[in-house]
Amino acid sequence: MQTSIQYPKVRLGKKQVDLFPYWMGLLVLGVLFGLSGAFFVFRDGLQVTGLSNKVPWGLWISIDLSSIALGGSAFVFGAIVYLLKIQRFESIGKLAVLLGFLGYSTAGMVLMMDLGQPLRFWHPIVYWQPHSLLWEITMCVVLYLTVLLAELVPVVTEHPNFQNHPWLLKFPILQTISKFSRTLSHWLHKAGPVLAVIGMTLSLLHQASLGATYAVLYGRGVWFNQSAPTQFVFSAMSGGICLLFIASVYVFRVMRPGLVDDAAFYDVARLAGAITLLLTYLRFWDWAVTNYYSFDQQISLQTKLLDTISPYSLTFWLGQALFPVIAGVVLLNAKQIRNFRYLVAAAVIPPIATIITRWNYNFVGLIAATTYDPYTPTVKLYTYSPTWVEFAVGTLVISYWLIMFSLATRFLPFHGEKHTEH
Amino acid sequence: MTETNENQTESEHGTTSRRDLIKIAGALVGAAALTQVISGTTLASRNPSSSAETTTGPKWGMSIDINKCIGCKYCTYACQAVNNLADDMIYCVVTTESMQNGKEYFLSRPCMHCDESPCVHVCPVKATYKRDDGIVMMDYTRCIGCRYCQVACPYDARVFNWREPIAVSPKSPNFGFAEVPNRPRGVVEKCTFCVHRIDPGVAKGLVPGKDARATPACVVACPTGARAFGNLRDPESPISKVLADAKTVMRLREEELSTAPSVFYVPPDSHSNNPFIKG
Repeated sequence: MQTSIQYPKVRLGKKQVDLFPYWMGLLVLGVLFGLSGAFFVFRDGLQVTGLSNKVPWGLWISIDLSSIALGGSAFVFGAIVYLLKIQRFESIGKLAVLLGFLGYSTAGMVLMMDLGQPLRFWHPIVYWQPHSLLWEITMCVVLYLTVLLAELVPVVTEHPNFQNHPWLLKFPILQTISKFSRTLSHWLHKAGPVLAVIGMTLSLLHQASLGATYAVLYGRGVWFNQSAPTQFVFSAMSGGICLLFIASVYVFRVMRPGLVDDAAFYDVARLAGAITLLLTYLRFWDWAVTNYYSFDQQISLQTKLLDTISPYSLTFWLGQALFPVIAGVVLLNAKQIRNFRYLVAAAVIPPIATIITRWNYNFVGLIAATTYDPYTPTVKLYTYSPTWVEFAVGTLVISYWLIMFSLATRFLPFHGEKHTEH
Repeated sequence: MTETNENQTESEHGTTSRRDLIKIAGALVGAAALTQVISGTTLASRNPSSSAETTTGPKWGMSIDINKCIGCKYCTYACQAVNNLADDMIYCVVTTESMQNGKEYFLSRPCMHCDESPCVHVCPVKATYKRDDGIVMMDYTRCIGCRYCQVACPYDARVFNWREPIAVSPKSPNFGFAEVPNRPRGVVEKCTFCVHRIDPGVAKGLVPGKDARATPACVVACPTGARAFGNLRDPESPISKVLADAKTVMRLREEELSTAPSVFYVPPDSHSNNPFIKG
């Protein structure tokens, strides 16, 4: 099958303009802005943030949680492609690995900013504390990033530049590198199933333990929730696969028409829809158990207080219950609907729901915190507003994500070695 | 033979074959089961403190008699002077709280040095750890500043070092002098029960709780003697005597959290669980 990449163009008057250079320029500006913020963080420490002793985790942790969650399709499709060997998802699986790698590396970057002692980022690897969920998460993220890198290397080295670039003849060293990279990617490709199993285990472990990070904090009523780990895993799968669906429609259907059958897209959409509905079901019962049927006054008080300063309950009912149900039903019926505009529009909702879940989860226990006084314990509201530095660093990592994604989708040979006949 | 071929072609065309669906469904069920196992084990893994506790050595504890506390905050100030803290860095917070009947009292809250410390359980690098004598300590050279312990502490006892440490605390010299080295920017710090006084004091044969040089600064500074310190395992220690004499003793959020703090409070006398009695 011959595939050529079609770059999406915008019609301006009579001209067809490829917006890619302008888009990249914009992102580079974002990176520069972000680097200025990062400079202040490294020079002056975390005093430049809006964080306080009462609200020590803020925007960055929320970005970190969200980006890891949205990389959640990598382990699902790693398993589908490399373990279950369902071949027609191969190209989509490669894209999933890319999304996973981007999500995790983004999280790693923003986490390092968030450390009070960024140069000690390697301490968890050396000083083990297996009882800590954060230790487990750090180890999983480090190992899983390695696995994702191993899964991504063959995709990158399949690029024709690695085999027949004029420089390869000029510089023998490049030839050696090319040979090495081909051998490496050959072995890594062979190790695919093993990597998929390791990746899935690591990913399931820490996607769950990200929820458990909060759920074990029994001193903070609203967080102590036994179903949080399960919810985090399923919401990562739901949001991650929907993001993968949107990205793969763009990368394969728009840019590389004919490479992936529409039926494969429908299957991805149906998988996403099913998991979204399952998640919403879990989420609803979690709400019922912790709020409606529960006698826990702390949680009701916290909810009431949060509602006074934010649309907290509304984000649950609309963002995590109603809209995801609609999206789930639409995506589940992808084969009948067969309209990619509707499907993509529906697929936008679950990633937003995933982000809302993470952000709400991160902030509820901190903004509305329980007091420790013995006779009249109550819930107090604390405030937190991110400073420009926090937004700048956020812009930095999001720009990084978009730059890498844009470059990869344009230049990486997702279509595989056997299809690269231009 | 023909059937398999048909299936294959169908699969290549992209329609979901039954086998694929079963595969995906199986994987999903497996994933769900795995998360349940994982969440179960992670939530259950809050095992008793990892350090093997000796029952022979001392176990340091503090008691605070709420009836005697006048809210002068000398404990806060002495602590800030000794630990060289800026005004907004407070290890020992004094707040005004109220009982169910509306009567107000002062609550002075150092680090609780819990036996089941949430902070020790969550620290990813063992920068905070529990010593055999019950003191929850910080290793400032190991802390990465992730602030998970701050989030986990139910007593808000932990303070993050947002800025560079100051040269001289504003509370010095009125309330004492710096006795410990400054901590670097970007680590979490907290009350140490003035371990820098206890350890050398014990080595010299002094008795913490009785000899001022081996007793936490807040206990020494308290003008009303509301605080007592000492070895909980020694019935003759000041704290054991206070606890033995008190009608009731309580610890903060004790029943709710089972953190088993080493800081005990003598509750206000007028306290009653009967909400109909007006204070």
